[in-house]
Amino acid sequence: MPVLLIGALPQPITSAPLVILIYAVLVLMVASALASVLLRNMLYAIGAFAATMVLVALLYLTIAPFLLFAVQLLVFTTVSAALLVGLLRQTAGLDTTQEPFSREWIIGAAVAAALLALLVLVVATTSWPIRLTANAGPGFGATLTNSYIVGLAVLVVIVASAALGSGLLLAAPTLPSPRGGRSTSPSPRGGGSASPSTRPRGPRR
Amino acid sequence: MNAGLNLVLAASAALFAVGAFALVARRSAVLMLIGTQFMFMAGCIAFVAFARFGLGAVNATSGAAVAIFAGATAVAELAVGLALAALIFRQHRSLAVDADRG
Repeated sequence: MPVLLIGALPQPITSAPLVILIYAVLVLMVASALASVLLRNMLYAIGAFAATMVLVALLYLTIAPFLLFAVQLLVFTTVSAALLVGLLRQTAGLDTTQEPFSREWIIGAAVAAALLALLVLVVATTSWPIRLTANAGPGFGATLTNSYIVGLAVLVVIVASAALGSGLLLAAPTLPSPRGGRSTSPSPRGGGSASPSTRPRGPRR
Repeated sequence: MNAGLNLVLAASAALFAVGAFALVARRSAVLMLIGTQFMFMAGCIAFVAFARFGLGAVNATSGAAVAIFAGATAVAELAVGLALAALIFRQHRSLAVDADRG
């Protein structure tokens, strides 16, 4: 049954300061994302990644509900950056190796350019359907807790499972390397080196 | 001069392409995971743009709700992926995803 909607067409943003802000945010967002994947120092790359997430939050502030901006800035950006820095502190340290330029960079650039051309072509040649807007409807919080309450519950379970699983993985003892590589298992209590019977062994050949 | 659906979608496409570049070109597990984050964010931006300017304007809050779900899923994927990267490092003393190659 068709629903008659009465209201105004969704209009593009025409306020000059807001338009300039959106253009600046979009340009900086793409530039910092590019810097994040091109920088060879891992700490700088993570910094550029965090800047990209903050700029996405700023974009949300201009075109989306405030709650989305707050969640993006306070939860997603903080958690992602903390996870990445935590991994670096546990593994290679904050000043990590320099990855040399390789043939994969050319292949990656070609793939990315092809994808970008395809997406821009689709965006440019499609006339997106636009409907009349109805009234404002329920707020964002009401939509989340009424229409999407099941999805929200599933999401909480997924995020909690991910946190639990990653914690267990990080705490798990190291399995012996197939090539007999050095193990990084914590030493047994009492310090000193592990006895031969407690040392992890590689597979027999 | 205005800011509409096509502008935001073009920026979203650019962010998606940057993520794809990171996935294909870089060998570090951390940078590949960052690339997937960019691709997730590009999808979220497209959802929000359609909710604000396009068909989704009938119920504008639904696009933002989907963006929240996608963002949280991206963070969960990052948590699991980084734990796997830590295990790779413990085994091979390297964060490169092909570190076990002879």
